[in-house]
Amino acid sequence: MGDETAGGAGRGDPPALTDHDPIATYDRIATHFSKTREYAWPEVESFLADRTAVRAIDVGCGNGRHTELLADRAETALGVDASRGLLREACTRAEDRGIDASFLQGDAAALPVTTGTADLGIYVATIHHLRPRRRRIRSLNELARVLDPGGVALVSTWSAAHDRFADVDPVADADVRAVTDEEGTPIGFDTTVDWTLPGGERVPRFYHVYTPAGFRTDLAASDLSIESFEVSSGNCYVTVRLEPGSASKE
Amino acid sequence: MKESLLDIICCPLDKHDLDLAVEDREDGEILAGTLTCTDCGETYPIEDGIPNLLPPDMREDAPA
Repeated sequence: MGDETAGGAGRGDPPALTDHDPIATYDRIATHFSKTREYAWPEVESFLADRTAVRAIDVGCGNGRHTELLADRAETALGVDASRGLLREACTRAEDRGIDASFLQGDAAALPVTTGTADLGIYVATIHHLRPRRRRIRSLNELARVLDPGGVALVSTWSAAHDRFADVDPVADADVRAVTDEEGTPIGFDTTVDWTLPGGERVPRFYHVYTPAGFRTDLAASDLSIESFEVSSGNCYVTVRLEPGSASKE
Repeated sequence: MKESLLDIICCPLDKHDLDLAVEDREDGEILAGTLTCTDCGETYPIEDGIPNLLPPDMREDAPA
């Protein structure tokens, strides 16, 4: 990949706090966030509708609302998240509902999951919290790595097509930062989206907001191939498979 | 965590297998213990039944 090994560059150095914001942020808001994430997304339900699996993985599982759907159709369902606070919510929720799923704390860009182990995967509403761009692409490569050759996955991200971002001008607005690919073509922008706790306290969250075309660009740069791509409710939903011969891809 | 999870988890850094040392087990669930990479020797804690397999530099207790 020509990129440094995941987790290798910073070892031994003081942690770069900016990189780790999502963990502290989601640990902080986990309980309230989880309460507002009770139900599965219809787009995820329809992706999973006719699928079964031996081993299924949910990357960025949050409170486990989608891991639960995987547990219904796979012999083994595994949820991975960076936030321990969210994983506690997920474990409690699974226990309360009698769901047979496993959860572990891990980084989407350095998955602690065996190569080629999952025949079904979901990676929804998570990649937009990763930065910089190379970590987002690395996370797509990690998803490709853990998929078995016949495996399929759903990847989603909040996108610039969302109404919320209709008036954002990545070049003119001071509070957002335009991101481009190697050729200088815009692929999206970095911004901050606050989470408001019940007491009114606002907790800032880092977001990279892809344009739909920009998300295609980064998927194309990864070891995943696009089977279908749709934009729904301002989110991009992409069905992906392992690109044939991806091991030799740059 | 269940011991069977060992079949599908690995070191996040080099993707090698992990050895399990159990400190506390209840009803077949491992509540506390340590996972050690069989190649690089990096250790990962299991706390409250949830393995922490974040790369070491992303862990809360990462040495400064």
